[in-house]
Amino acid sequence: MEGAMSKLKLALYWAASCGGCEIAQLLIGDKILKLAEAADIVFWPVAIDAKYKDVEAMPDKSIDVCLFNGAIRTSEQEHLAKMLREKSRVMIAYGACASEGGIPGLANLFNRQTIFDRVYLETQSTDNKEKVVPQTKYKVPEGELTIPEFYDTVRTLAQTVDVDYTIPGCPPEAKTTWLALEALIEGKLPPRGTVITHNAKAVCDDCPRKRDVKKIKKFYRTFEIIPDPEICLLEQGLLCAGIATRGGCGAPCPQANMPCTGCYGPVDGVVDQGAHFLSGVASVIDSNDPSEIDKIIADIHDPVGTFYRYSLPDSLLRRARTK
Amino acid sequence: MSLLKKMMSQLGIEDERLRLDWVSASEAERFAQIVNEMTEQLRKLGPFSPGNGGGNV
Repeated sequence: MEGAMSKLKLALYWAASCGGCEIAQLLIGDKILKLAEAADIVFWPVAIDAKYKDVEAMPDKSIDVCLFNGAIRTSEQEHLAKMLREKSRVMIAYGACASEGGIPGLANLFNRQTIFDRVYLETQSTDNKEKVVPQTKYKVPEGELTIPEFYDTVRTLAQTVDVDYTIPGCPPEAKTTWLALEALIEGKLPPRGTVITHNAKAVCDDCPRKRDVKKIKKFYRTFEIIPDPEICLLEQGLLCAGIATRGGCGAPCPQANMPCTGCYGPVDGVVDQGAHFLSGVASVIDSNDPSEIDKIIADIHDPVGTFYRYSLPDSLLRRARTK
Repeated sequence: MSLLKKMMSQLGIEDERLRLDWVSASEAERFAQIVNEMTEQLRKLGPFSPGNGGGNV
């Protein structure tokens, strides 16, 4: 950014993610034209044909901003994260996977061996009589072929390289993306380390539902009941993560009669979102009788997948112990 | 407590690493006994390493 007239150089990358973040970036709609006026995109594998070697050839810090989505679970993703960090002045973790591990982060309940066994040998739809599993190197007459190494543990971007800002969400709402891009274009970025969102308080603060006393005798899964559209979902026994999740999204899920699943990450000041959510849920259980409590809890079928749906790699434990 | 234990088992953390008990301020002996039991229990389990997940944790 030497002069007012020079355009920003922008890079976008995807690691362990689903592709939804790319779609979310396009959801800013016609504002993309404002972005095109202010920035040149130098690297974006989903849309433009720039190669890794092109990035490698760029001078250090020659990219102004990198929007990096996806978690880090292979050697290729780690390599690109490190390369893009060197080449970029500002590194932004875009979306839940880059910032907290996201859905791919739930693989931290397992390790490479158990994941490969399941995916390549055990699933009912697998037809693999030769028991072929991916090898990082394979010799063919033409030479040696290589593929990236698959890691035991999924990591966040910030556990891999220094990250300057975070844009939360699975995927980030268009207004959150634009809040960050507008700040970039205008050169008015908040202090380094900021999680960029419209509301640092919990999703409940955005949610228009009526809240009263939370006393739960029975938890339900979303397919088991049709909730009242106006009363707090947690009060109706749905495990809504709004109480433990950063707002700014505008609470679109509760307004569509679906509980929040926690994609905007922990509220400010909380390190471990899952522990925060769990303690909130435990405190609304309306019983002092241990056997009744056990019965109520039996309806919470997958505590880790519920409380740490997007944040297991970013939790205090980071992963399960596996044998 | 039982919800936390249920989640701990998913995360591969032994049940014996968590205990909730109540001791009155006048029950010094009981307090010492519980602390000793817990210490002995943890010693048997050995140190906790969260990252027992393979090569590059």
